Amino acid sequence: MIKGRVKVINRLGLHARAAALVVKKAAEFESKITLIREEKSIYADAKSILSVLTLAAAQGMELMLEVDGSDENAAFEAISSLFETGFGEV
Amino acid sequence: MDKIGGVVVSHGQFANELLLAAEQVVGEIPHIAAVSIGWHDNVEVAQSEIERAIKSVSSGKGVLLLTDMFGGTPTNISAMFLKENEVDVLTGVNLPMVVKLASQNKESTLAEMAEMVEKQGRESIYRAGDLLDPHKSKA
Repeated sequence: MIKGRVKVINRLGLHARAAALVVKKAAEFESKITLIREEKSIYADAKSILSVLTLAAAQGMELMLEVDGSDENAAFEAISSLFETGFGEV
Repeated sequence: MDKIGGVVVSHGQFANELLLAAEQVVGEIPHIAAVSIGWHDNVEVAQSEIERAIKSVSSGKGVLLLTDMFGGTPTNISAMFLKENEVDVLTGVNLPMVVKLASQNKESTLAEMAEMVEKQGRESIYRAGDLLDPHKSKA
């Protein structure tokens, strides 16, 4: 399992369009991918948009990204790069 | 995998717009249709439109009708189609319910799906301030 922090940098936060991108990307991998908002103990399955939206992650917020499975390295990289590029919105 | 179909039924244009919004979120949703009942449409017209929509999204696994408000005409007409294992009706539709029905990823029966979509709809209502906590999140 790989763990690491990702930061929401785009102005609108992890809103519906951004969450849809995460879910679409996550679905390409076999690994179990979880996004965690630690201070509220909210766990979201990155493959479910409704779950990702419950994180209510605003700009500036850090989330823990946990990836577990056969393609965890590639999945971790792909999901964190979405966050780093602000979901193409910055 | 054949999906359970869906028809969003509402007063005015709400159903069409709700479905369009859901498609913005998850992409095309060929197994869900929308029927907007005009304020002045008669019951027979509305009934035949819903019937046509049910047929258009049915893959033989059942169809879930999502209506805007319990007690309203769209719900009352939809309820005429209730049939065990074939057509089920949920009222008070919201966007998360449509998204939930759109993203079916495992086999389920109509009754199971109706239960999941109902649960999703109920659980998707938040008092935003309780969740967002803007002062802490900006830290």
